[in-house]
Amino acid sequence: MSKQAVTLALYADPDEAAGALKELRNCGVPGFKMDDVIIKSPIDHPELSELLNHRPVYIQLFTLLGVLFGPTTGLVLIASAQASFIYQSRGGRPIVPFPPDMVLTYELFILSGVLMTVISTFIAMKLPGNRSPLYNASVSEDKIGILVKAKPENIPQIDEILGRHNPTEIKGDHTR
Amino acid sequence: MSHSVHSHPQLDVQIERKFVPKAKDLGPDVSWAQINKDVLRSLEKPRPAFWIIFFSALALFSFGVYCEVYQYQNGMGVADLNNPQVWGLYIATFIFWIGMGHSGTLLSALLHIIHADWRKPIYRYSEAMTTFTLLTAALFVMVHLGRVWQFYYVVAYPNERWVWPNFTSPLVWDATAIGTYLTSSLLFLYMGMIPDLAICRDNARGARRALYKFLSLGWQGTDRQWGNFKVAYMTMACFLMPLAVSVHSIVSTDFAVSQNPGWHVTSFPPYFVLGALYSGCSGIITLFIVLRYVFRFEAYMTQPILNKLIKMTFAIAMVWTYLDLIEYATTWYGSDEVAKADLVYRATGDYALQFWGMIFCAMVMPFTLLIRYVRHNYTVLLIISLILNLGMWLERFQIITPTFAKSHYPWTWTSHWWPSWVQWGMVAGSFGWFTMLFMLYCKIFPSVSMYEVKEMVHEQNLEGKLAQPVSEHAHEAGLPEGGQA
Amino acid sequence: MSLSNLIQNWQMFRTRRPYEDQYKDAPYKWAMVIDLDTCIGCNACTVACYAENNLAVVGKERFGKGQAMHWIRIERYWGEGEEMKTDFPERGAQYLPMLCQQCEAAPCEPVCPVGATHHSADGLNTQVYNRCVGSRYCSANCPYKVRYFNWWNYPERAWPNPLELQLNPDVTVRSKGVMEKCTFCMQRLRAGMDKAKTDGRILADGEVLTACAQACPTSAITFGNLADKKSKVARMWKKQQVDLAKNVQDKTEEGIRGYRVLEELNTYPSIVYLERLRNFAA
Repeated sequence: MSKQAVTLALYADPDEAAGALKELRNCGVPGFKMDDVIIKSPIDHPELSELLNHRPVYIQLFTLLGVLFGPTTGLVLIASAQASFIYQSRGGRPIVPFPPDMVLTYELFILSGVLMTVISTFIAMKLPGNRSPLYNASVSEDKIGILVKAKPENIPQIDEILGRHNPTEIKGDHTR
Repeated sequence: MSHSVHSHPQLDVQIERKFVPKAKDLGPDVSWAQINKDVLRSLEKPRPAFWIIFFSALALFSFGVYCEVYQYQNGMGVADLNNPQVWGLYIATFIFWIGMGHSGTLLSALLHIIHADWRKPIYRYSEAMTTFTLLTAALFVMVHLGRVWQFYYVVAYPNERWVWPNFTSPLVWDATAIGTYLTSSLLFLYMGMIPDLAICRDNARGARRALYKFLSLGWQGTDRQWGNFKVAYMTMACFLMPLAVSVHSIVSTDFAVSQNPGWHVTSFPPYFVLGALYSGCSGIITLFIVLRYVFRFEAYMTQPILNKLIKMTFAIAMVWTYLDLIEYATTWYGSDEVAKADLVYRATGDYALQFWGMIFCAMVMPFTLLIRYVRHNYTVLLIISLILNLGMWLERFQIITPTFAKSHYPWTWTSHWWPSWVQWGMVAGSFGWFTMLFMLYCKIFPSVSMYEVKEMVHEQNLEGKLAQPVSEHAHEAGLPEGGQA
Repeated sequence: MSLSNLIQNWQMFRTRRPYEDQYKDAPYKWAMVIDLDTCIGCNACTVACYAENNLAVVGKERFGKGQAMHWIRIERYWGEGEEMKTDFPERGAQYLPMLCQQCEAAPCEPVCPVGATHHSADGLNTQVYNRCVGSRYCSANCPYKVRYFNWWNYPERAWPNPLELQLNPDVTVRSKGVMEKCTFCMQRLRAGMDKAKTDGRILADGEVLTACAQACPTSAITFGNLADKKSKVARMWKKQQVDLAKNVQDKTEEGIRGYRVLEELNTYPSIVYLERLRNFAA
């Protein structure tokens, strides 16, 4: 893989950021793909994310696995624990009573669903991880950052496109 | 659409009216940088009241610790519990606290699912309230155990003797449900807090910066992170709704599955869930007023939001009232003579004062919320929200105590049983413990969600933009003031 | 394990108790009959129980607070129905010895979080002190309120030296924070059953008695093996037309006195009480 340089433009106005993204889409810089663009923003901007290539979210698939795995495993474990414990009947109830076991099964259904969701989310969000060296604290305040990775020779072209939409700041890391 | 109606002057006026008089939850000119500044300031310089509250809570908690140590040393006898009155205030207060923990999740998860945006400035501290009330409730499970040092027997851990807990016991369900709820709501709270922790990280110095850096996990707000975050947050909200309902239903089975008169009631699970939401909502109102003052959140915890919260509380209070009355009605018109006698005893016996106190505090007092003056006067509202919660505590007291006092078996019919100072001390200590933890939380973590308030402002501005397409401010509408700075 | 074995075991795990003839093939099912007409309220049974089972004497103050530890207690009731209250106060109390009813479907058992209380094979409701964490849920759910909790650390003060020498070595001294209750003198039963097993027989009727039954001067308490159809207890149960596995007894005969306390709660107790006879005309 060839050497890549990174450039970051900060916008105060989402509409300007959208304009920049639209222009990047149609810029036709050789070797540049929309996949190399990352938006950083203080809040979720679905209208900007739409301008990127579709980036699928797989979390709910893992949630489904969790809710299938949790209750079945839970019920099997509970029932087998009851059956393998020293033979004890309690209060005239059967040793393995299903209606009460459903309560715990339900709780485990939710617990494993939640845990799988959280785990898969952290994997999908690539957290915990390091921030990119070009991270700018103002994207956690009120700016929208557009981060573009490109070949070093294409950077001036991209900077020019980004600069056409009133960014408050453009800075690049061309050393990588 | 707005362009087509512009040709028609009358319709135009109607559209203007539709948008303009709508009460905004937040002021129109909150800038994003200001949001960061205001919330981050709450972490550093609260009003002096913060320290007064914190140290009074610490003092109460210390007294509670003293009571527990005393009870641990001498045995449960110091609590003046006896043969029929085996639970006393411990379980009553346990239900009270676990009930308090329900509205945080309701407010956060349910309102998130239905996209009710007014939750955004107040959900964070409500969720924190949930977490800490659950911890407090768990404390009561511990202190009420005769052998608290063996509490881990309740946990299903593998061991060489293949000894397991009794999975049919409501107490094991309780432990599992509370564990699940605590884990899930803690994760929900944390997940929702990550973007804000990143803000803190970007603005803090020293040890705090290290803490926030560790906790924010390197969040940088990329589109991929936001996209996954939104899906995950919604998914978790969908899990937490039924979970919250199941947790208090399970707590109600502690009573509903038993044989005792007054407990053996089918309507207990919904009754408990609604009671939980009720006390939780009034708890949220209390903390709303306290935080608003202590941390100077006047710009975010606004009157329109409080109004909505009060309306919700009133509605829940009415449903709870209905369920409570229907419980009495079914007992009264049923043919279970023992339960009927128990009901009469509750209303007329040794604990009649507590019973009617509950009726007054929890059923009559909510009607004062209908008065405009009460809704707008924060001091009065603070007192009323505390009275509502006192009513809910009395409700738990009069579920437990009269039933034990006059159960099935006449020989154990006790006269006016009253808990000892050790029990009262631990109840007081629990309030101290909760307040202490909650206040510490608010001092260390942002108790108003910064990024979601920004979303709210963003949406309000978008709405304003749509409403006034020809305004000369249209260009700035999408752009928060101070954004250029 | 063959399939039929598996199904049979599964059947066993899924069966509700008590069921008809549950103890048909079992060697033992311990049960009791208490004749209230014979009981004179002398408290000898209580004293015997204190001695046999190392029950702590709690003192007047704690007794007043309701923290007493009497596994069997003599309850005194004045009056039988409304009319007795006023008309015959001079006839004094009537007595009801109340102890753990060893219910077949005991309400205390399913609610214990750690499984410290459960049903034994010979039909006893057992309490495992070592396992108990002291949640007191069993006591909350016991309709008879015959479970006693160690509110204090009794071994510290209940038997000052040299009184500890009187303790029964076969019975544990319970520490603070655990629940305890009548065991039908489990230690005697265990020793007896073990001895009988060594001899290759089952216990004969009356060979082992509980301390209370042994001490009763008027023989109001009859203890025995209900699984043995020829035992005195089994014959009395049959005569009183009380069936262990029924919650509503069909009594065909007039004038029989046997009943079980709070039977309507479906607890299926193992103790039959014989109603007191009164000559109302006198």
